[in-house]
Amino acid sequence: MLTWGVVAVLAVGVYGQRALGMALIDPNRISVRSRQVLAMVPLSILCAVTALQTLSSQGALVLDARVAGIVAAAALSWKRAPMFLVVVAAAAVTAAVRLIS
Amino acid sequence: MRQIPHGTSLRVGEAWAIAFTYFTVAITVSLVHSTAGTPTWVIIAATLLVNSATATLAYAAVTAAGGSVAAGVAAGWLTSTRFGVLAAALAPRLWPQRWKRGVAAFSAFDPNIALANREEEDENARRVYVAMSLWLVLPWWLGASIGAVIGDLVTDPKALGMDAMFPALFIAIIRPQLTTQRARLIAFSGAAIALGLVEILPGGLPFLIAALPALFALRGSESGNS
Repeated sequence: MLTWGVVAVLAVGVYGQRALGMALIDPNRISVRSRQVLAMVPLSILCAVTALQTLSSQGALVLDARVAGIVAAAALSWKRAPMFLVVVAAAAVTAAVRLIS
Repeated sequence: MRQIPHGTSLRVGEAWAIAFTYFTVAITVSLVHSTAGTPTWVIIAATLLVNSATATLAYAAVTAAGGSVAAGVAAGWLTSTRFGVLAAALAPRLWPQRWKRGVAAFSAFDPNIALANREEEDENARRVYVAMSLWLVLPWWLGASIGAVIGDLVTDPKALGMDAMFPALFIAIIRPQLTTQRARLIAFSGAAIALGLVEILPGGLPFLIAALPALFALRGSESGNS
């Protein structure tokens, strides 16, 4: 359960980290090589987030209906379907698999 | 295909997809907090002020599993360290004025940073970042408020497959970036590291360590196959 105090502490901590990356570090002092690496960081982290949100739940590896939804999403995405369709299909397939299992 | 803002590679369909996803995810997240006993106004305040689903969800997951408030806050902070790393990746391409980036930092999410980074020109990266932040944050706040108010009407968001929407959205964002062998190597390594570490390390740390494969960007950059 969230409380006002927890909300305040989380808000300060989360904004602080965003501001650290976005404003407190001077971009001109970042070298070309560092920029090359930083440009690939979002890809790396997004893949980690995707993998964990597909195959884990509360810190444990889980294989459930989401996998079917994400396989459908990946197939549609590979076929260059619109993003909207990809997202709706993932939810629909996941819901359908949960319904029949 | 129409682009917004004009001249950038951000398509209207993409913006709508992200807006819709954040809207529905926000409803879902609010419902989760509601079922955990959090009062409506606290949920709305958390949405506006923390501005991160993963941070509040990590807190809720840890405390629901019997963890202390301090452990919950630590988990919340750790899961959002990725925003700082993502923001640092885009910051050199945004405004030179620090205060503008300070304001922009408040809405540093995954999709708006990824889509802004996709632009070739820095000027367009700025415009996409601003446009996408609004397309993302407004539905996010609206959805969270609706979710907090309707509270117990949708008893089971999972039955609607809502938990598959976030990863599906990320796949749609990642896919166009997997054009080079190096990008595919980085993507696969990031996912593999996160899956390998999730049961060993506390929430948030696997995300951070999964940023390390980005170092592959340095490998073979002399040979020019970028």
